[in-house]
Amino acid sequence: MNAAKNRKVLIVEDSRLIHKMYEMMLRPSTLVSAFDGQDGLEKLNQTPDVDFVILDINMPKMTGLEFLARMKATPVLANIPVIIVSTHGKEEDVERGLQQGAVAYLRKPFQREDLLKIVNRIESKQSLA
Amino acid sequence: MSDSSDMIDPSEPADLPEAKNLPTGGGRDAMATLRRAQQLVRDAQAAIEEASRVVGQGHAPSGEAGARLAAAEAECQELNERLAEVEHQVGRLMTLYVATYQLHATLDPVEVQSTISEIVLNLVGAEQFVLLLADEEGKACEVRLMHGEPDLAWARAGRYEGGDPLLDAALIDGGLRFGPSEQSPALAVVPLRVQDVTVGALVILKLLEHKPAFVKEDRDLLDLLGAHAASAIFAARVYSKTARKLRTLESLIRLVNKGQRDKGGGP
Repeated sequence: MNAAKNRKVLIVEDSRLIHKMYEMMLRPSTLVSAFDGQDGLEKLNQTPDVDFVILDINMPKMTGLEFLARMKATPVLANIPVIIVSTHGKEEDVERGLQQGAVAYLRKPFQREDLLKIVNRIESKQSLA
Repeated sequence: MSDSSDMIDPSEPADLPEAKNLPTGGGRDAMATLRRAQQLVRDAQAAIEEASRVVGQGHAPSGEAGARLAAAEAECQELNERLAEVEHQVGRLMTLYVATYQLHATLDPVEVQSTISEIVLNLVGAEQFVLLLADEEGKACEVRLMHGEPDLAWARAGRYEGGDPLLDAALIDGGLRFGPSEQSPALAVVPLRVQDVTVGALVILKLLEHKPAFVKEDRDLLDLLGAHAASAIFAARVYSKTARKLRTLESLIRLVNKGQRDKGGGP
């Protein structure tokens, strides 16, 4: 498994601090940054070749779950793996996200190892597909 | 290791970023060591797999080969453990770096406070907290930031004048305190310092539901906030005041120049 692989990842997250965290944790990946769900959909339509999406649930304008529903309803985007990230530990949000097609979830605060394990797992599945 | 994800056990250690993306100095050396350790783990794993393959083909290992296999397995296990520990430390240092970087990335007082809030919420995992800063007379503290609507009279009033023993002690001696106690609901009180003078405190009152208690890494983050949060706020405030004064002075100068031009009939 190669965590130093130069992947392309869409980060949909309203916190600049957490964007910076992902930038450090996923180096040298290319990150496409969006700060709310609406922004995320626009960026995803512009760059549909991302390897996976990291999606915060609690965001202004359009929540992560709304973003996920719209993304999964778009055939060309539906197969992109999504990792959902939750802060407040609302189990029902996490469950809804997984039901809507997210492949994994993280709860803040999380460690770098937690993120890389999930990323490695996604990439293992992709390489087998 | 935290339990914040639906983790599966990794079969291999995660690879590390390329050296060109890393800071210079000790960080680069540490990553080079890590990379070497990863290679050793891979070599040991390959040796074990090869040995297992041979055994699987019906060639029972001799006494010496068996001993070497056991030694290789033990070494691999030890290296894996050390690698996991070092990777954890790298992650911890990344968190501290990002928190410091973001605290000082702006001179806008509102953005600085927002960053403090994000650090406490997203990196420490606190659901309720209050940031207090001493007023100009230094006799009381004003609430500068509040998250999660804590059920405390002084927090609702926006002013703390004393009475919580944990908070009072931290404000007096500048030492980090962990609670709660019979007299104080605070889980942690982080004194905020500027040039070794305590100018306020961050009071954490409740952690997120899925975080039962502080972990040892939180102590580093809280120490960092104690040393950097207040100075970031003060620097932003000073810059904001200075910028406002500068704009006023520039307006005055423009007015005076315009008056002189009007009076002299010049261009």
